[in-house]
Amino acid sequence: MAALGTAIDSLTAAMKCNIIPNQEYLLQGSVLDQYVEVLLHRLRGLCDNVDSGPETFNDHELCYSLRANNVNTPMALPLRVRRALDVSDAPFQLRYVGQQELGDKNRPTVVRSCIDMACSSTIIEFLSELGCRLDFEYIARGYMFRKGRMKVTVSKIFKMNGIANKPGEGVEAISQSYLVELSVQAPSGQDAIAEDMRVFAEQLRPLVQLEKIDYKRLGNMM
Amino acid sequence: MGVTILTQFPVENKTGPQIIELLSKRISALGAVPQGQFLVDCETYSSVPALGHQRTVHVLHNSEQPATVFALLETGTKTIPLATDGLFDLLMMKMSSFYQSKKQTKAESKGPRFEIGDFCVKLGSVTVSSNFKGVLVEVEYKPCVVPAMCWDLIMEFMQGFLGSLGPTTPPSFLQNRMQDIYSPIDTIQQYLEHFTLFRKSPGPALIMRPQ
Repeated sequence: MAALGTAIDSLTAAMKCNIIPNQEYLLQGSVLDQYVEVLLHRLRGLCDNVDSGPETFNDHELCYSLRANNVNTPMALPLRVRRALDVSDAPFQLRYVGQQELGDKNRPTVVRSCIDMACSSTIIEFLSELGCRLDFEYIARGYMFRKGRMKVTVSKIFKMNGIANKPGEGVEAISQSYLVELSVQAPSGQDAIAEDMRVFAEQLRPLVQLEKIDYKRLGNMM
Repeated sequence: MGVTILTQFPVENKTGPQIIELLSKRISALGAVPQGQFLVDCETYSSVPALGHQRTVHVLHNSEQPATVFALLETGTKTIPLATDGLFDLLMMKMSSFYQSKKQTKAESKGPRFEIGDFCVKLGSVTVSSNFKGVLVEVEYKPCVVPAMCWDLIMEFMQGFLGSLGPTTPPSFLQNRMQDIYSPIDTIQQYLEHFTLFRKSPGPALIMRPQ
């Protein structure tokens, strides 16, 4: 039997072959509470999971950043942890989301680097002790649809109100609308998927307008 | 997945391959069947000064759990274990401006793997940044997950092919976890304990047995 390669060797090989899904193509929009049923109905008709209906989720998301106090070059590495409140034995999800690529203005979606991984529940303590700071947290509840490689989530965002461990009670919605996200994770360079997403987003108009959101401009507004 | 005991086998005046061959012969004589190779490796990262007090992250892989990456964070007061998947290595690369790898400390244990009834035996030749440091013998008893319930059996089995050089007390990491349910990260913690000792030791001849 041939000698074993190291895990780093296989990761490097996977990177060379470009099979690691480390890019996220994303479109976002929102819909008012009173119209969400219409949108869900439309999605049920358009998406793959017609028979089983949409999957529901009830997740707690914690957004951390790792910062170093360098005078010249302030650095920050954003990290997110997501855990299912409704499925207690599901692994936690750790996610790195990078800056969105500036790229071509005509590109139909936001493209940003991302790394997703499942992990054990010790991740919360691990990140705190690693030096990460908890910037904010929220609860997202809603529905998930699939259409080929595309994922559509319709989620209601709730504030934590300081009660981190009691799902259900004591949470307050942050707005009277639902967040709608259309995303695909793919290896880099698969820009054709962005075009598919644009076409799909067209089919949801005028119920919801899915757009490239420029976070830098949002930052200036606040 | 069962309970695993890791112990160091003294090298004395022999080379690594000689010891591995000697132990392979003994275990084969008991009826063990070779079942490929195994590899456990460990890379260590230290926090940069800008991040405040010094912390260390050890990232380990075990060929027995090929889709998992194990990380152990040492804060100085406690160790936090984390089991995650393969892309964690990619994240460590992203963290390179916060946590930097100490290149001279890359440790690994690799060698033949045997199966004999309910036991799995691995004979690992340990290197730290490519220098031979010693031999680690890993024995797993697959049907049981509580160390206290199978320690005596494993000890007796190990003495069967290691003779008086087999362990007589449980590894220090397990001593206050004998009644807990054993999981793969406990094996990783034992490897880290040994790798840390090997890194500190100047060469294969001078290693003290960690008991």
